[in-house]
Amino acid sequence: MRKFAIAAAVAASFFATPAFAEYPEKTINYIIAFNAGGESDISARFQQPFFEKLTGQQAVIQYLAGAGGAQAWSQLNGMEGDGYTIMGTNLPHTILQPMEKDVGYETDDLTHVYFFHYTPDAIFVPADSEFQDLQQLIEHAKANPGVVTFSGSGSNSSNHIAKEQFDELAGVTTTYVPFSGTGPAVTAILGSQTTAGFNYVTSGVNNSEGMRMLAVAADERVKAFPDVPTFKELGIDLVGGAYRGIAVPASTPEDIRQKLSDIIGEINADPAFIKQMEDAGFVLTDISYEDMPEFMAEKKAEYRAIGEKLGIANR
Amino acid sequence: MELLGYFLSALTPLNILMALGGVVLGTIIGALPGLSATMAVAVLVPFTFTMDPATGLIALGAIYTGAIYGGAFAAILVNTPGTPSAIATTFDGFPMAKRGDGNLAITLATLASVFGGLVGGIFLLLLSPPLAKVALAFGPPEYFWLAIFGLTLISALSVGNTLKGLIGGCIGLMLAMVGVAVVGGDIRFTMDTQMLLGGFDIVSALIGLYCIPVLIDLVATPDPHLKVEQGNRGIRLFEAFGIAWKSKFNVIRSSVIGTIIGILPGAGGSIAGLVSYSEARRSSKTPEEFGNGAPDGIIATESANNATVGGGFIPTLVLGIPGTPPDAVILGALLVQGIKIGPTLFAQQGEIVYTFIFGLLIATALMLPAGLLIGRYAYKSIASIPKTVLVPTIAFLTVVGSFAIHSNLHDVQMMLVLGVIGWILNRYGFAPSPIVLGLVLGQIAEQGFVQSYLIGNATSNIVGMFFGRPISLAIVALAAFTLLYPVLFGNRKEKARKRAVAAAKNYAETDGETAKADEATLSEPVINPMAHLKGVIAKPRDTAGMGIVVLLVLMAVWAITQTSEMSPLGSVFPITICATLIVFSIVLFAMNLLRKPAGAKSGDQTSESVSRRIALIVVMGFWVLAIPLTGFWVAAILAFLSLARVSCYEVMPAKRIIVETLAGFAIVTGLYWLMADVLLIRMPSGLLF
Repeated sequence: MRKFAIAAAVAASFFATPAFAEYPEKTINYIIAFNAGGESDISARFQQPFFEKLTGQQAVIQYLAGAGGAQAWSQLNGMEGDGYTIMGTNLPHTILQPMEKDVGYETDDLTHVYFFHYTPDAIFVPADSEFQDLQQLIEHAKANPGVVTFSGSGSNSSNHIAKEQFDELAGVTTTYVPFSGTGPAVTAILGSQTTAGFNYVTSGVNNSEGMRMLAVAADERVKAFPDVPTFKELGIDLVGGAYRGIAVPASTPEDIRQKLSDIIGEINADPAFIKQMEDAGFVLTDISYEDMPEFMAEKKAEYRAIGEKLGIANR
Repeated sequence: MELLGYFLSALTPLNILMALGGVVLGTIIGALPGLSATMAVAVLVPFTFTMDPATGLIALGAIYTGAIYGGAFAAILVNTPGTPSAIATTFDGFPMAKRGDGNLAITLATLASVFGGLVGGIFLLLLSPPLAKVALAFGPPEYFWLAIFGLTLISALSVGNTLKGLIGGCIGLMLAMVGVAVVGGDIRFTMDTQMLLGGFDIVSALIGLYCIPVLIDLVATPDPHLKVEQGNRGIRLFEAFGIAWKSKFNVIRSSVIGTIIGILPGAGGSIAGLVSYSEARRSSKTPEEFGNGAPDGIIATESANNATVGGGFIPTLVLGIPGTPPDAVILGALLVQGIKIGPTLFAQQGEIVYTFIFGLLIATALMLPAGLLIGRYAYKSIASIPKTVLVPTIAFLTVVGSFAIHSNLHDVQMMLVLGVIGWILNRYGFAPSPIVLGLVLGQIAEQGFVQSYLIGNATSNIVGMFFGRPISLAIVALAAFTLLYPVLFGNRKEKARKRAVAAAKNYAETDGETAKADEATLSEPVINPMAHLKGVIAKPRDTAGMGIVVLLVLMAVWAITQTSEMSPLGSVFPITICATLIVFSIVLFAMNLLRKPAGAKSGDQTSESVSRRIALIVVMGFWVLAIPLTGFWVAAILAFLSLARVSCYEVMPAKRIIVETLAGFAIVTGLYWLMADVLLIRMPSGLLF
């Protein structure tokens, strides 16, 4: 407690220093656009000690949840662009939300600095489910249109999109049941409330005994689950998931954006960080600030096509 | 024996110090509405990386349990739940404090919280893996029925005024529908504004609906906020023990309910408190005392909500599914420490986990001395500081609290608007609690309903989904029992009612408002429906109520027209609520048409100052508008000084003015510092500061 008070006092004394000789020289506010406990939060928590080790400064995580992340993202550019406020950002959320409706920001309003990891979608079934592999599930779904239920996190989310694409590619009709987050969606699978679930691979790590992963929507098998095949291996061309990265207010100077991108890149290269993230089921990506325009253009085109297929590309 | 070893290793001086510090900090943060355990825990997590894992976790757990307990302070002393978990504490806590029993109420809350916390902790210690299965047995239909069960409390809360209570519940449910829908993804009723995209935040609504009316009524009279206790009776610990001992079944039942509901990831402390309150009221021999300062109401809520702390860690540790946001932050801290969550956790990493659980139990036990000490001073200071300081301080806390939730002024604006509307509605008999219940339970009910429907539809078994599952049926039975109990056991109630008349009369001298409603209900028997109806119609016509329901019907019709653009998933619930609201409104309107118009309205008591009430609202309105211009601190100081004048009823000597002004500066600056530099909340800076 005392340590905390001292640190708070130290942080306060730096409060008035505006110039940044050697960024960062004080505590950084790292805002997460969701509630605690989700993938955005956990991966930021993993970064936290490495950030401190690398820069000597703390990154303090705060939560600004609401409207599926839009509450935070729509406020980002109104925040101070001094490099001490950074925000977690997610794809496809930040592309699909403004595509569908006016949510207070446009995709291009966000200044992405780095995408540091990716969580592929995956199909899970309860451990005691009759379905041992994907083929059995598909056959069951073909024989009984609409009867197979998939739990997932949210509507028009990455899970939802993956489920729609799966239906089309596998030639089946299934029912998507949206839940208010990964936690409740996984609980529904564990409790056999739904037949199966579309969720992120990471969910399989904590609950490896309660549910079985049938297939992963990634290009390659995920390191934490070497035995789980990809959809591609099974003949279904489904690759999808959520990218997570960091964005800054538009007023943030170029050199700070670059510096931040370098810091996140260095954390991503730390073997201890890599091990932690991969053990937890995350797939590391290195899309740095200079690669961003090309990457975003590619993703925007990709998700626009999907959005049009789903009928949510209204704008 | 192994457990004993873990217990001893938790008992290091550093751990105890951490637990004590955590409990004190948590209690203070919990007592300030809007500041949450999540914020404090999230800020402190990085410090735990450098500590021994168990020590760090004990500090986090202590803050969490302290914050849930601290919520009771604001509930008892200013009628505003410090955390949503303490909603039901306001029902009886504030009436107790008003009549001078504030110390007793706080001591009871402390005893109940400690006991509930210990029960939850012991379940966590001994029965985690089997109990985690409860979380899995609860599917969408169970959540739906649990929410409905919570809503049945409305009828209990609004005895004699059931129709208005039900209408209030519908208003709350509609407020819960605003914003981006989880199921269906529709953007609903935002009137194309940014502000409503995230919906009405529960905490900001709680502050507005409960606290603003208190403020408005506080400036209207020179009477003290709380009745100062006669004689120095101290913390009344023995008296409280006696009451708690007599209510031991209530304490145990509520603690068990709290633990079980805590295990459900979709429920949480607020529902645990409401369900236990409802059960305590149903099984009480004197249910009519509930809502008028019944100690059992506080005991039920507070033991239940602290039991959810231990209960909530069960799915967090066993399944990796956090029950509440603070659980989630602590889960994150655990993962970073390299702890592997899962059923094997207790066997393989027992050292950290058991040390943590024992630390939590120690922290809970430490709440007793810490809470009694803080409580003693909290009540004393709230009861004794002059209104000229109390009113601006509470007003400042409402602004700070609603701002802190999202660092967003929109929440402050919504808080104030809801508060003023809530005050007006309350004047005309629409109490805030049903509205709050609707708001808290609306999302859970809707998600459970739509998910159940989707699953039922897919398996062609919609009826079975809602009515064919044993746990669902048990909850439905309980809800029906709660609703029908007064009818079935009317006789017993009738006797109790007579007993209560004496108490109510006695009570009327201390609190006119509540007692008025009381007498009205007492005069009509409940068992005979025809006589009941006659009694209802014999009342004078409620013209204001008629006006309000006309407005509500118009709003409901507007809302229904809005649903045409929504997906079927997103529109079914709002349409149902609107239709219900319209039906209730028409019944109320028709009933009043049958009544005779009232004579000259008795009007406000002449001693109440309307101009001061308006002045308070105006000052607060300007305050909220001025923040972006002048910055948070300057606006707060200006408003603090203005409100001191609004609430001043006497000629003050210069010395007192100076002292109180300095106190104002200290309070504003101190809290500003707490927010900006300790909790690291981003404060809006204006042109001046």
